[in-house]
Amino acid sequence: MSAPNEDNVSQPQLSLHVFYELLDSIIIDLASECHRVAKLGLDRNLEEEEEELRLSAQARASVADPGNSSETNGKYIVDIFGQTHPPVATEIFECMNCGRSIMAGRFAPHLEKCMGKGRKARLKATRSSTAQNRYTRASSASNSPYSNPTSTSRQPNGSSGVAGHEYSNGSLEEL
Amino acid sequence: MRHSVNRPPTPDTRDDREKEPTLKEIISIKLIESGEKERLMELLRERLVESGWKDEMKALCREYIKKKGRNNVTIDDLVHVITPKGRASIPDPIKAELLQRIRTFLVSATPL
Repeated sequence: MSAPNEDNVSQPQLSLHVFYELLDSIIIDLASECHRVAKLGLDRNLEEEEEELRLSAQARASVADPGNSSETNGKYIVDIFGQTHPPVATEIFECMNCGRSIMAGRFAPHLEKCMGKGRKARLKATRSSTAQNRYTRASSASNSPYSNPTSTSRQPNGSSGVAGHEYSNGSLEEL
Repeated sequence: MRHSVNRPPTPDTRDDREKEPTLKEIISIKLIESGEKERLMELLRERLVESGWKDEMKALCREYIKKKGRNNVTIDDLVHVITPKGRASIPDPIKAELLQRIRTFLVSATPL
């Protein structure tokens, strides 16, 4: 079965030889791939990792450091990146309803008032849309006691073609 | 035009080349022609990826590249970095499996 000492290569050696030949090809492929990635700068982690390692070491140091007061530092809490956030959001932008400049932290209460939850806002709204109706009803209610005793009788639904014409502005014209 | 006179006629060199290919060469040719070499390579590649060998070698490369600086590295460098470690860190079962297959092929390819 095994070729005896032909060309000084025994059978098991031959197998090993073939195996290493395969392995060498694979290694060359791998080296070539890594080389390509390195040359093209495709491995963004290459420098990032060092940066991150440094930052995490830094963060760990600052957390472990008792000199760095964390939550009792006035009113500002320092988070793991070393940033502080004020308790109320301070960014200013324009309210899309009324157009005023509003601070972000006060936006919700402002919207409540601006858009109709509060007392004043509701009055503001009702006054504008139902202004005509209220006014009409009020004025006609006050007019009817005066008009009834006279000959001109006014229909409550306003369809009086007989005597008075009811105008939209609420004034009753009596003939 | 002088050197063409001194040049040995072509048939001679062809004769030289056809002298007794070594066993290694025969095996190599048979491996390639039968497609077995390709299959063995794919098998070995797959096993090495599964076992994490490829990732380990890649990590070695990246460390070396980081140290040397990415523009100072040649493929040759990387091959020399990986080969000793690579050969040594092949998991035994994988090596055994491949050697077994190769042996089987050799047995079938060199009947004696």
